Amino acid sequence: MPAVQRANTWEISDSEEESDLNKPSSSSSGEKKKRRRRTREEVQEEQENRRAAREKQRQEKNKLKEEKLEEQQRRREAAVRVSLFKPENFIKSLTLQIHAALLRDAGCDVLLGTLDGLQWKNCIENQGLPNSISWTRPALQTEDEAKNGVIEEDQVLMVISHNEFEDMVMSHKTETNQQAPIGVVYEEAESLLQHLYKYLTEASRKFVTVLVISHQQRSGSGDEDHFDFHLSQHHLDTEALLVHLQLYWNVSVNFLFGWQEVTDHVVAVTKAVSKRPYKALCGEPDLGFCMDGSWSAGVRVDRDGRGLTQVWTRQIQQLNRVSPALAKAVTSVYPSPSLLLQAYEQQPSDEERRRLLADLTVVGGAKERRVGPELSGRIHRLLTSQNPHLMLD
Amino acid sequence: MLDANMPTDQVCLGRKRPVPSCPNPLFLQWLTELRDSAKEKGLKTQYVYQKAINSLKKYPLPLKNGKEAKILQNFGDGICKILDERLQKHYRENGQGPQFSADGSDAPIHLAPSFQRSNMASSKQMEAPTNEPSGNLSEHMKRTQREVRKEKGTKKKREYVPQKRSGGYAVLLTLYRHAQMPGSKGFMFRNELQTEAQPLCEKSFTVPDLGSKYTAWSSVSTLIQKDLLVKTHNPARYSLTDQGLALAEKLDSEETGMDKEHVEQMSEEEHARDGPDVVDLTLEEEEEQQEEKERCRSSKSLERPVPALSVNQARGQISESDAAGKPQTLETGRAAMGWHLPPGSYEIVLCVDVIETTGGSSGRKQELVKELQRNCVTFDIRKLNVGDFLWVAREKVTPVPGQLRPPVGKELVLDYIIERKRMDDLCGSIIDGRFREQKFRLKRCGLRKPIYLVEECGSAAAHLSIPESTLQQAIANTQVVDGFFVKRVQDVKESAAYLTIMTRYLQKLYHNCTLFCRSRELEGDGGDESEQTENLSCSLMTFTEFNYGAIKNKCQTVREVFARQLMQISGVSGDKAAAVLEHYSTVSSLLQAYDQCSSESEKEKLLSSIKYGKLKRNLGPALSRTIYQLYCTHGPLS
Repeated sequence: MPAVQRANTWEISDSEEESDLNKPSSSSSGEKKKRRRRTREEVQEEQENRRAAREKQRQEKNKLKEEKLEEQQRRREAAVRVSLFKPENFIKSLTLQIHAALLRDAGCDVLLGTLDGLQWKNCIENQGLPNSISWTRPALQTEDEAKNGVIEEDQVLMVISHNEFEDMVMSHKTETNQQAPIGVVYEEAESLLQHLYKYLTEASRKFVTVLVISHQQRSGSGDEDHFDFHLSQHHLDTEALLVHLQLYWNVSVNFLFGWQEVTDHVVAVTKAVSKRPYKALCGEPDLGFCMDGSWSAGVRVDRDGRGLTQVWTRQIQQLNRVSPALAKAVTSVYPSPSLLLQAYEQQPSDEERRRLLADLTVVGGAKERRVGPELSGRIHRLLTSQNPHLMLD
Repeated sequence: MLDANMPTDQVCLGRKRPVPSCPNPLFLQWLTELRDSAKEKGLKTQYVYQKAINSLKKYPLPLKNGKEAKILQNFGDGICKILDERLQKHYRENGQGPQFSADGSDAPIHLAPSFQRSNMASSKQMEAPTNEPSGNLSEHMKRTQREVRKEKGTKKKREYVPQKRSGGYAVLLTLYRHAQMPGSKGFMFRNELQTEAQPLCEKSFTVPDLGSKYTAWSSVSTLIQKDLLVKTHNPARYSLTDQGLALAEKLDSEETGMDKEHVEQMSEEEHARDGPDVVDLTLEEEEEQQEEKERCRSSKSLERPVPALSVNQARGQISESDAAGKPQTLETGRAAMGWHLPPGSYEIVLCVDVIETTGGSSGRKQELVKELQRNCVTFDIRKLNVGDFLWVAREKVTPVPGQLRPPVGKELVLDYIIERKRMDDLCGSIIDGRFREQKFRLKRCGLRKPIYLVEECGSAAAHLSIPESTLQQAIANTQVVDGFFVKRVQDVKESAAYLTIMTRYLQKLYHNCTLFCRSRELEGDGGDESEQTENLSCSLMTFTEFNYGAIKNKCQTVREVFARQLMQISGVSGDKAAAVLEHYSTVSSLLQAYDQCSSESEKEKLLSSIKYGKLKRNLGPALSRTIYQLYCTHGPLS
């Protein structure tokens, strides 16, 4: 214990070590004698103490250095981890699972060719939902939900032909006509619709989009009257299936023209899937308002503070219902926050502080206006309130 | 204020029992006589007269004739007719013109005193059926009103006391009583406050009077202006200021006193009138026109004095819960909200935003409405503060015999909300930034199944200013990243068909459900996961709460504006602003911190080591310096 204490005292005077050593030579002879009289042991002890102190200091310095290095390392690792989540990197870790049944359609080559061109990983599967395209990614250590270290994304596409879709519409129609309880799966039925229901019953968190490929552009609902009845009846059946799929199974249906459009859709969904992790990681904080919009593009301010006048004006504009002219009226009379606050302090009463800006005239616009007591009060409350949750309006 | 003109000398009718002053002494006398004679005969009508007497006693304004008294509660045609007959008789006996009551004192009988004083009470005006005050009268009243104001104003700083049973009165009293309850959370939400304050107020807090856009709730903003009330957070919380607390305490003790001493009620009111300036808080508008309108309203609000009984009932409930000893704050709030709609008691109705039905080029918006009508969809056009379409479960109400308008049915919003976008709209909204903003608002509107309805309009997308692939990517993002359901249709007709079939399906889905009312204010959005992922949600928000919560730019808090203000500096992103706010959540707390710095360089570096974002990076010296320059430059900024 005493050693430590001494060391500490030495440490404190450490910076003056040199002057301490010089001192004896310049001081009175009596003191010199005293010093000389000190035993060797004492000197030795002193030296040892000094050494110990220096050692300790060095250790501490090293420790600090190490800590700093560690911190840097940690940050670097975090940055690397984050960069892995960036969409352009994350997309490389995704694997597209394409159901083998889709290969039967020659048009599928367009898709595979495009994926190869983009160098996106893909593999052919023969399991799961028939005619489906889905995404997997390697699991991170933190995620324990993974099976075999692989995580399935919730998005699933099911690509079917127009004829297959028509079958779905028919089977849905007969099913509802038979008044069968909705959602009951008949074992003997082998339609794609039943497959879809069966799949979704097991994997309820999946979000399936059915892509219907037609080989002719889908026209809008017929304009000609004699077609109307036939079309509308068919249209009604189709729409009934679509709404049923939406409300009961959260399945959406998208009609596309040819495999090129299917490919475009797959690419768009892949990109969208790749954006999610980064967004979840670096998601914007919830300040209660949308961060996006033209208002949030800040004003450039240089080192000398040029640009701050405009910042100050735009700050006033952030209050509801404040036009640029209105904000300008305030900031031209009080060209900095501190000047406005000073003016507040000079007012004799709260009431006058609140009304300080009310009679400023707003230049521009058809007729002359004032800032008015309402906005004047709001600005005062904003700048002086201690309560962050106080409502201004 | 009208009452300031009243003669203050007490009217004594020469009975043993002193009767409190009443601006309608003759009516009071006659009714009392009628009651007494009915009582002697043991007739039930004595109670009818007694009720009328009670109402009349509470009415502070002079009545011109029996017919006019009909506005009072418990005054039927019969009583009014009797009073008019007696009045005619009285006129015949005593002549017309300024009247004197039976005992000879010079109190007015049935005329506004100002009438008499300005000598405008010509007999002609008296005979005329006086359904409404003449223009002269109101003109005059206004003048006197202003004079009175001026007088009071010069005396000393005006003290505000809201009129009894006005919105402001009820709000203050409710907040006060709420704060007195054990375990009180110290504030109340809007819904809660409205529900609990309603019994103390004559006007409705939610439905404006005919021909007016104001409700009793309108006076809340005046209370805030007068520093009696503060409104914080989002969803809004209301609590009393110290000033408001003092005033409310006074109101409460007066109210309690009034209940105890029922007989003293009138003099009590008299006292309140003579005391501090009694102002209907809604009277605070600047414009004269407004003033007059308001005055009419304030006198209207006196028309139907609520019997003291209802107050007792309300109080009874509260004290009951007090007795239970448990914190009741949530309970009472919830009890007010916790209603349900059993199966069959409601219908599912499509609501269409009014914007979707008006305007638009070449009437394409009308087309949708026409299609819906052709499909026989029950729909309702209203102003939606977010989204274009949604569905409500509307309580079926039957008209009450004797009432012109059926009671207002309760409404709950289903969880589906649709934002409809044509490709060109989508393009435009991406360019001007509305796209993200709209999605943001849809996500937090409280309805759990947002739907993006995209009308593709065939080849129209080809000549838009954004490439088709970008638009498709935006749609894919909306589905995958934002988690919206994306529904694609070709044109308006398909949209209408979709809405039609959705409506029918939802009607089928909700055919057999009991719907419960949930409140975001009290329970938040959380809810359990299972509830959210289930196909059918039966605990729903009321339409009013939903639409109120979705008002764009409705309320800003100090914190929010401060964050937006910081973001006006280039380089301050949302997460940086949030980091600063974590340390200094108001402008004044930041300024205070600057004040406490010992040197300018310390001020300059104040914010530089604040950590922001998930990576906990430093804000840095450059931004710290810029913010310092903004707030600490003493002269003008450059």
